[in-house]
Amino acid sequence: MADVTAASRASDVPRGTGAEATLTPPSVPLVDGAPVPLAPSAAAGSATPAADPRTVELAELRRLLLGAEQARLDEHDRRIRDNEMSPEHLASRLPEAIVLRAGQDKQLARALAPTVEAAISESVRRKPGEFADAIFPVLGPAIRKAIAETMAELVGSINRAMQHSFSARGLSWRIESWRTGVPYAQVVIKHALVYRVEQVFLVHRETGLLLAQAHPPHLEVPDADLVSGMLTAIRDFVGDSFAGEKEVGGLRTFSVGELTVMVEQGPRALLAAVVRGQAPESYVRRLQETIEGVHAQFASVLADFDGDTAQFGPVQPLLEDCLVTVLATDAPAGTKVNTTPYLIALGAVVVLTLAWSTWQTMRWSRVIGALRATPGIVVMESQRGWRTHTVRGLRDPDAIPPNALFASAGYDSVRVEQQWEPYLSLEPSLVLKRVQRRLGAPQPGTPTYSLRGDTVVVGGAIDAAWLARVARRTGWPAGVATADVRSAEPIVPASLAAVADSMTSVRVLFAAGSSELDGAARSAIRSAARQARQVAVALAADGVVATVTLAGRADVTGTEATNAALSRERADRVRGALDAALRDGAAKGPVVRFDPRGLGTAEPIAAGDSVARARLNRSVSFGIRLVIDALSGARPQ
Amino acid sequence: MIQKKVCMVGVFGTGKTSLVQQYVHTKFTDKYHSTVGVKIDRKVVNVDGTDITLVLWDLAGRDPQQDVGSSYLKGAHGVIYVGDGTRRETVSELDDLLRVATAAAGPVPSVTAINKIDLTEQWALTPEDYQALVKRGGLFRTSAKTGEGVEAMFLQLARFLTVPKAGA
Repeated sequence: MADVTAASRASDVPRGTGAEATLTPPSVPLVDGAPVPLAPSAAAGSATPAADPRTVELAELRRLLLGAEQARLDEHDRRIRDNEMSPEHLASRLPEAIVLRAGQDKQLARALAPTVEAAISESVRRKPGEFADAIFPVLGPAIRKAIAETMAELVGSINRAMQHSFSARGLSWRIESWRTGVPYAQVVIKHALVYRVEQVFLVHRETGLLLAQAHPPHLEVPDADLVSGMLTAIRDFVGDSFAGEKEVGGLRTFSVGELTVMVEQGPRALLAAVVRGQAPESYVRRLQETIEGVHAQFASVLADFDGDTAQFGPVQPLLEDCLVTVLATDAPAGTKVNTTPYLIALGAVVVLTLAWSTWQTMRWSRVIGALRATPGIVVMESQRGWRTHTVRGLRDPDAIPPNALFASAGYDSVRVEQQWEPYLSLEPSLVLKRVQRRLGAPQPGTPTYSLRGDTVVVGGAIDAAWLARVARRTGWPAGVATADVRSAEPIVPASLAAVADSMTSVRVLFAAGSSELDGAARSAIRSAARQARQVAVALAADGVVATVTLAGRADVTGTEATNAALSRERADRVRGALDAALRDGAAKGPVVRFDPRGLGTAEPIAAGDSVARARLNRSVSFGIRLVIDALSGARPQ
Repeated sequence: MIQKKVCMVGVFGTGKTSLVQQYVHTKFTDKYHSTVGVKIDRKVVNVDGTDITLVLWDLAGRDPQQDVGSSYLKGAHGVIYVGDGTRRETVSELDDLLRVATAAAGPVPSVTAINKIDLTEQWALTPEDYQALVKRGGLFRTSAKTGEGVEAMFLQLARFLTVPKAGA
C-alpha cells in the first residue's frame, strides 16, 4: 500500500511544477502588447534626406559597424521615453487598464483599499452633510429594516415572557428553577419545547468523516468527530444487519432517550440532525433540501474529498439554517391555553365592580332622597362621580345643614361639591322656626307653636306681658299673618312673681259662723291690696288685665247650704274691704277686677288636725287671674 | 483540518483496542474486552507542521465464525493490520485480511503491527515468518503494554496519508 502512495507522489510533483511553468510568460519585452521591431534604425535612416551621398554612406557605415548596438541604443531610448508616460496618455488608458487588471486578480482592489478608505474618511470629515445625503437612500431602508427586526424579536420575547410570567405554570417553573438552580430560561425551554435541533452534522458518506457541523451557541455538544464516525458505523451495521446485499436507503431515524437523530443521505454525504423533542414532517423536507443543496454546491469537492475539510467552510450557513428551536408558545394555533382561571377571575372582578357600583348608586340615591325629603331643601341636580359628587339646588337658611346628612350617609363632605341657592320655604316647620326665632323666649313659659293657615297658634303657660305683645304684633315673617294666643295661659311675669306669691299666700281668717272682719283681717286685706295694686299697675302697661279671685271657705260644721252662703258672704265682705283699700289714696284706682266665690266646704285647705283645719278653712284667700287685654277688647290707653 | 479514516484490523485478541488506548489515552489494561462491532477514537498528529486528525476505527477482531465487517472498511484512508507475535496463526491470517480490506477500501496505505513484543518468552514467530512480513513493508514491532513502537507506527501511517494521492 505504501508503495502505491509513494509512486503517486512522484508522479504528482513534476506535473504540478510543469503546469506552473507554462503559465509564466516568457521574458520578451512588450510595449502595449506588441513586439518591438529589432531594427528601428532602418526606418529612421530612410527618413533622413538622401541628398548628401556622404551622409548616406556614413549612415550605412555606422549601420554596418554598430548595427546591433545601435538597435539596442534606440530600444533603450524608446523605453526611457515610454516610461515617462504623459498624463494625457495615462488618462486615455486608465479605465481600460483598471478593468483589465480587476479581471485578472484582486491586487488592484487590495492596493486601492487603503487609499479609498482614507479618501472616504477625509470626505466624511470635511463634508459630512454631502456624504450623509449620498448614502441616505441606502441608510434609511437599512435602519428601518434593522429596527423592524429588532422590534419583532423584542415583541416576541416580551410575549413569551408575559405569557409565562403571569400563569400558574410560569410560577411553578420559577419555583423549579429556584429549587434546582437551573436558569429560568432553560426551565422554560425544557417544558415549552416542541423540538429543538441541537446539532447538525454533514458527514462524508464513504469515510464517515465529519465535513462540517453546527450547533446552537451555549449548548454543549459531544465530540462531533466521534459522533460522526459512530453514526456512520451504526449505519453500516444496520445496513449490514437488515438491508442485506442491496442498500435500500439505510438508517433514517433513531432515538436515544429524548433525542432523535434524523438522517438524510445524498450520494456522497449525509446530513444528520440531533433533535430534542418531536420534529414535524416539514423538518425532514428541510433536511432533504439542505443535503440536495450541499450536493449541488459542492459536487466536485465531495467527489474529490480526501480528508481536507477546510473546503467545506462555506457549507456552515446551510447547516445553521437547520438549527431550529420551536417552543409551544411559538405556535400560533393548536396549543390551547387554559383560559378558565382567567375567565373566573375576570368574572369575579366584573361582578364585584357591578356590586360595588350598584351599592354606590343606591347609597347615593338614598342620601339624595333624604335631601329631597328635608324641609327647606330642593335638589335640582345631583351627579355621582368616580370620586367626587355634585349637588345643586335651593336651600332655606333654616333647613338642617346638608353636610350632616352626607356625613350620616358616610360621605366625606369634602368629596361632595354643593351649590345651594338661598330661598325662603313655606314649609310649616321652617315658618314656625322663623317665628320662634323672631319672638324670642318668654320668661317664664315654654310656648308651643303650630300653624293654622297663616295664623300661628301659641299654647302653654306663658308670661302674660310677652303674650300680650305677641297678640298685638303686626310684623310677621313670611307665611304668617297673625297670631292666636287664646289657647295659651297667661301667667305672672317673672318680675312680678314674688309680689304675686306673697299676695296669694295671705289668708283672711274669720270666727266660727261669722263673716265679720276683725283687725288682723283688715290688716291682711290692706297688705293684699298693696300687692294687687303693684301687679295690676305693672301689667296694665302691657295691656294685661288682672283679676283678683277671692275664694271664701267655711269649716265643716253646719249645713252645706249655710256654709255656701256663709263662704260667699265672707268673700263679698273681703272684696268690699279690698276694693276700698285699692281706691284709698288714689283718684283713680287701677283696673282690677274681682271674682269672689263661695266655695263652702269644697276644695278645703289641708292641715294637720281637725281644729287647725277648721280655723284655716274659715277664711278667704286670694288669687290672680290674668287676661290679655287685646282679646278682651278693652285695651287700656 | 485534514481528517483521515484509519481502520484497525486483525484477529481477535491481538491488541487492536489496546494499541488505540495506548496511543490515544496512554494507558493499558490487562483485562481483555472483546470489541463488539466497532469503536471509534480520534487522535491529532502533527506531520511536518501539518495537523492531521486520525479517526481510528477499532474494528471487532476477526474470529473463525465471523468475518471482519467490510462495510466499516469502506472509505478507509489507511489500514493498520495487527498481529500477535505470540500466536502465529494471527500473523498468517494477515494475508487474508489484506485481501478483504483491499476489496473494501481499495489499495490504501497501510502499516503492520506485530504486537505483544513485551512477551518475548512466548514469542512464536519463526525468522521465516518475520522475513515474509518485512517484505510487505511498513512493519512495526509494538507493545501496547509498554508503548514501544506504538507512536512510531501511527506516525508512519500518518506520513503515508499526508502524501498527495494520484488522481481520484
